[in-house]
Amino acid sequence: MKDFQLGEFEEIVILTVGILNQSAYSVGIKDEIELRLSRTVSMGALHTALNRLEEKGYLKSHSGESTEERAGRPRRYFEITALGKKAMQHAKDTRDELWSAIPKTLWQANLAGI
Amino acid sequence: MPHPPKLPHRFFRWYCHPRMRDYIEGDLMEVYDRRVKESGKRKADWKFILDVLLLFRPGIIRPRKPYQNLNNYGMYKSYFKIGWRTLLRNKEYAGINIAGLALSITCCIVIFVLVKHHLSFDDFHQNKDRIYRVVTEQHRETVSFTNNVPSPLGAVLRDNHTYGEKVARMFHESNAVISFERNGEKQLIKEPDGFAFAEPAFFEIFNFPLSKGSIETSLTEPNTAILTERLAEKYFGDQNPIGQVITYDNFLPFRITGVLEDLPSNTDIKPEIFVSYVTMKDFNPWLASDEAWGGIMSGMSCYVLFRPDVSSAEVEEAMQPYVKQFRPTSKNVHHYKMQALSDIHFDGKYGGAMEKSDIGILIAIGIFLLLTACVNFVNLATAQALKRSKEVGVRKVLGSFRGQLFWQFIAETAIIATISILVAVLAGYALVPYINDFFSTQIPVNFLADSTLVLFILGLDILITLLAGCYPAFILTGFKPVAALKGKLSFQQLGGFNTRRSLIVTQFAISQVLVIGVIVIMNQMRFAKQADLGFDKSSIVMVKLGGDSLNTMNVLKNEFLRLPGIEKVSLCYQAPSSDDSWNNSIRFGTDPEEVNFLTNMKLADADYISTFDLELLAGRNLTPSDTVREVVVNEAMLQSLGITSYEEALGETVYANGGTMKGQVVGVVRNFHDRSLHEPISAALITTASGMYSNFAIKINGNSVKATMEEIQALWEEQYPDKMFEYSFLDEDIARFYEAEDTLLKGIQFFSFIAIFIGCLGLYGLISFMISQKTKEVGIRKVLGGGVPHIIWLFGQEFVRLILIAFLIAAPIGWWFMSGWLQDFEFKITLDAWTFVVAIGSSLVIAVLTVGYQVLRVAYVNPVRSLKTE
Repeated sequence: MKDFQLGEFEEIVILTVGILNQSAYSVGIKDEIELRLSRTVSMGALHTALNRLEEKGYLKSHSGESTEERAGRPRRYFEITALGKKAMQHAKDTRDELWSAIPKTLWQANLAGI
Repeated sequence: MPHPPKLPHRFFRWYCHPRMRDYIEGDLMEVYDRRVKESGKRKADWKFILDVLLLFRPGIIRPRKPYQNLNNYGMYKSYFKIGWRTLLRNKEYAGINIAGLALSITCCIVIFVLVKHHLSFDDFHQNKDRIYRVVTEQHRETVSFTNNVPSPLGAVLRDNHTYGEKVARMFHESNAVISFERNGEKQLIKEPDGFAFAEPAFFEIFNFPLSKGSIETSLTEPNTAILTERLAEKYFGDQNPIGQVITYDNFLPFRITGVLEDLPSNTDIKPEIFVSYVTMKDFNPWLASDEAWGGIMSGMSCYVLFRPDVSSAEVEEAMQPYVKQFRPTSKNVHHYKMQALSDIHFDGKYGGAMEKSDIGILIAIGIFLLLTACVNFVNLATAQALKRSKEVGVRKVLGSFRGQLFWQFIAETAIIATISILVAVLAGYALVPYINDFFSTQIPVNFLADSTLVLFILGLDILITLLAGCYPAFILTGFKPVAALKGKLSFQQLGGFNTRRSLIVTQFAISQVLVIGVIVIMNQMRFAKQADLGFDKSSIVMVKLGGDSLNTMNVLKNEFLRLPGIEKVSLCYQAPSSDDSWNNSIRFGTDPEEVNFLTNMKLADADYISTFDLELLAGRNLTPSDTVREVVVNEAMLQSLGITSYEEALGETVYANGGTMKGQVVGVVRNFHDRSLHEPISAALITTASGMYSNFAIKINGNSVKATMEEIQALWEEQYPDKMFEYSFLDEDIARFYEAEDTLLKGIQFFSFIAIFIGCLGLYGLISFMISQKTKEVGIRKVLGGGVPHIIWLFGQEFVRLILIAFLIAAPIGWWFMSGWLQDFEFKITLDAWTFVVAIGSSLVIAVLTVGYQVLRVAYVNPVRSLKTE
């Protein structure tokens, strides 16, 4: 099976794009991540991640409307492609597989330790 | 509406990739706007500056110049793409080039592997620079050389001198029959490499580690042995070999006290069983004693590890007085020499496997093959050059520099060279087992694990690319773009004809010499194998005797004779023609002096003559007897004695072996070849002497050989239960006389194949070149009425002339070499004209096959097309 490359931050970004659905654009994504995960996201890191995801074919983008607070610059909206969905699913599946492989006793032992 | 600080804003607009500038700028503005509203302008400004700085990263910064990549990999990619397409378009041309290069590279790789293997012999011992072997020069009327020494020499060197840090004597007995017990059953095995008596110091000099047991204790007691892991497993399987007993020739038992790691393939020390030297007194008391200075036993050697500052010359000098002391009267004056370990493999006169000069010849062949392949490549490439002229023109017009074009064509050569090397490596892999077989070497097959070889192959790739690629690339890139695009290039720019011609002549001369060699050797071999040897050699099997009891011999002989598959049986010392022979000085008749020639003693019973179908010319056969009573002599003996009439010899008495053997001549047989055809027929006599018999000669009637052999073996083993049944077919033994010639023949056949192949490539290159040059001429000739035969002759005469010149060079050389080679044979074919006719004929045929299609294609082409080419 083809290997899906998806870094940790990239995964967060693509998930957020999914959450925002049709209205995902850079500042919106940044706000959403900061809100949900209470971590700050720099513009540079976010744009790099978005570019990389687009290069990999997991996202596609289109220009949107411009508003006054953007000084007339257009927004760039992102959507997840079919390949992107597969990559997300793959990331989740591998995680789940690893989770389910952890023996239950691990958690019990930890509980006992507390 | 507040504005973000100007300077960072401009900085951002300067560095950002234009594709993303608007979007990111919008983001910045949006966030800035929000921040101003939330926490005031000052804070928003600072955060704006921070954002701009954090955006300054590789994914977002624009390239140096708009739309230009930072490197020119794209160009290299294009070189390879164009190169690959050119190859695919000219499949024929590419295939020929790759085949030619691959063939010579294969040879180079094989030669490299061989040379490296030979140079690595015994280089794994710790103090290899200080290890020496003592060898002997024997000065009589002539000087002969042996790698053996008298057995006490080692002891003297150790006890009387301090030169050697360690001194070890070793006696190697090859072809030993070893018996041992496995699962309670007695097993017999013949070890061609035999075993060796060795002093423990041997293993301190040489680096042959033990995997079980310790060398300090393993070989100190009598009747102890160590053997390699390979043999331990062969003999005892999974059982622990320590403590097991192996027996040499049913009389000398050894208890195994240690196991050696397997010997590496690159050592000249071959025995895999070493037994304690103190046991020697049970094997050969004379050899074990300190008095055995009288002669040199084959197999007895002495190795020394010198102290660091000792030179071999001073040791040689110190050994000299012992010759006078211990051999005062002998006419055979010994000179003991010290031979360095690194020379052992390369000194033929002391039994080394090859000479250093052979290595030089191999390397020279490799270089020659490589150079010719490169030159052929250059020929073909320049012949094709005009096809690429338009491309060169276009590229130059579009701004290519000469240097860039040059590297483009080098890259194309690199593609071809690399493909050839891959092919050659595969071929090398496939060939290594055959090479090992051919040269009796044990080069490991996975030779790519060897890092020097990988480096060599990479180096070869670069070297070939530069050698073969430079000249064509130089020519191609020198085209003037205007001339190239107009198609006005002339062939004067592509280099002259004469170098090409002389190259072809050289190649064909070499291949014709080799072809002459092949023909002569093949004829001589056929002659040797089919010649009438004066006796019958077909369906005769020689079976070794298992013991010297006369009774058992005769019982067995009679039992053999009862088998339906057996026609005749004779007890004898050796077959009429044999490598082993006993040559004796005889006295004849009343003459009190020994005759001045040696007589080959054929000791055999009365059935010998009929078994081998020897032809009696006069007198009668021997009467059966166990001791010497009567003799039958051959014609050569009478000739040596000066007796012309056979009858005259009958009744005379022959004394042999110093008079202990005495018999009356009762018959004369026709001459038979008593050795290989290299040797003249020597005087021989046949007489009965049962004490000397060592073989049954059995004539089987051709049908069920296998079944008969099984019956013979069963009867034999019944009589000699402890012994090993050994037999050989006489015709195969005789064929083995010519093993060296067979090897030579195979080698020459191989090289003549390569030489012819490379010669053909050269021809092909030349014809391609000629055709591309003469296309227009052919067109004009045809328009003016020249026919197809005329055109064919236009090209044909060139090749006929070249091959004739090559033949004129090759014929005398071939004649000279081959008549020299035939000098080694006493009985030989004559070099006739046919050999040479075949050589030149085959060259012509090969040439026609190589160039024929090309020439015909040109000759039949419509002149309209050929005239339109320029």
